[in-house]
Amino acid sequence: MNTLKYFLLICFSLTSLVSFTQQTQDSIQVYKKRVLETTEIDFLTSYYNQDGDNAAVSGGIGTEELTDFTGRFVVSIPLNDDDILIIDAGVSAYTSASSSNIDPFDGDFADPYQASSGASGSDLWANFTGNYSHSSDDRNDIWSAKFSVSSEYDYFSVGVGGSYTKLFNKKNTELSINANIFIDTWNAIYPRELRPFAEGGDGLDDELFKDNTITGNTNYNPNFSEFDNEGRNSYSLGFGFSQILHKNVQGSFALDFIQQQGLLSTPFQRVYFSDVADSFIDNFQLADDVEQLPDTRFRVAIGGRLNWYLNETFTLRTYYRYYYDDWGVTSHTASIEVPIKITDKFTLYPSYRFYNQTAADYFNPYEAALSTDEYYTSDYDLSEYSANQFGIGASYTDIFTKAHIWKFGIKSIDLKFYHYDRNTTFSSNIITAGIKFVMD
Amino acid sequence: MIKRISVLFLITCFFSSCVVVKEYEKVNINDPDMVLSEKKCDRNVTTMHSYREAAVGANGGKTGGGCGCN
Repeated sequence: MNTLKYFLLICFSLTSLVSFTQQTQDSIQVYKKRVLETTEIDFLTSYYNQDGDNAAVSGGIGTEELTDFTGRFVVSIPLNDDDILIIDAGVSAYTSASSSNIDPFDGDFADPYQASSGASGSDLWANFTGNYSHSSDDRNDIWSAKFSVSSEYDYFSVGVGGSYTKLFNKKNTELSINANIFIDTWNAIYPRELRPFAEGGDGLDDELFKDNTITGNTNYNPNFSEFDNEGRNSYSLGFGFSQILHKNVQGSFALDFIQQQGLLSTPFQRVYFSDVADSFIDNFQLADDVEQLPDTRFRVAIGGRLNWYLNETFTLRTYYRYYYDDWGVTSHTASIEVPIKITDKFTLYPSYRFYNQTAADYFNPYEAALSTDEYYTSDYDLSEYSANQFGIGASYTDIFTKAHIWKFGIKSIDLKFYHYDRNTTFSSNIITAGIKFVMD
Repeated sequence: MIKRISVLFLITCFFSSCVVVKEYEKVNINDPDMVLSEKKCDRNVTTMHSYREAAVGANGGKTGGGCGCN
């Protein structure tokens, strides 16, 4: 673990050093095409909804209903012939029935299949990323560095990263390396009924239990303690290789290593033990504990793309990824998209994606974990399942940017819809749209 | 696993030494639909996958940070 950290730090240092050195070397004046001709602005937005009956917040049962609206601007600014600054800022607002059940007792009747009216049912996620990249005079070397901050009510993240890309073989071959570090902090929120059992709490003397009647096992006494460490760090190291194989075919490989440490459990996800008698308030089963997961996770993903320009109408875009982690999850992802050029301005994007994964070693369905286990979760995102996703989209492209809004010409408009369906009760839909503006 | 990756890498490097497509032959390769990454408007879809699925990485998307979901 420490070795990986030191390696990442050395990578950052070298990237920065080489970048400054290269800026000096690039001072020799030669004719070169600008890396980016003019400022470009991408406005990206999406509307997402999901539903299912295996909410992790209520221990593997209950509604997973969630809606999310995201808006984002990505502004790419050419600073000179060689350098680009990319400012990327976005917000995401969501309402979640399952998150609202962190405290299901603030309404008239508690039920895992009904949303509560609590404040935890909605949140705002905001993100800012700055990316600076520099290209050498011959455009065969590209360095970049980035900084990101994101925040939501119970989570804060700061990230730094860098990458180096080398093109050779007359720009037919590309090798790249990238490294990222994220330093995250939870502001842990626990299920309402467990809070009185934290250190210094009132236990069954809490007003929750005075205002509501416990049924089933009336001697509710969970063995609960808050997490000591609320930090989560993620370190990633990635390698990329791409190759033009033919004037109509190109492909790429990507290999990512990710090490995470810290609080990897989600503090508000309940677990129910099979060897502990059940207690209820209304229809809502009281938690026996929150999920407990190891404080380290090592993950490896290797993926490949192969794109084939079949003719002036059809292009084939394919992708495959194999994933492994030391929590026992392995996964395969495969996707295919066939862009169909209807006219010189309009393109259709039918697509299909298949995904499957094995269950994490610590996954237990509702009420199946044992109180004697060290680690347990009933988060069905860590269960075994397969999923199919079907998509359709359309794109309008005008390379002459005739349509304008103020000083910006509209270069392209994209609209896509995806339906995602697991072989469990979970399904989701997302509509995404993107508009690219180019400054005159 | 490492052996397989190494063999795959060497094979691909071998291919790279055989083919050189010249700049003026790259019209089709430079088509926007041939780009070896996801389109920008698919970014939120990739993010949704990283929240709901255990697998991340090797797709240009998030590899951690920024959300307590993965």
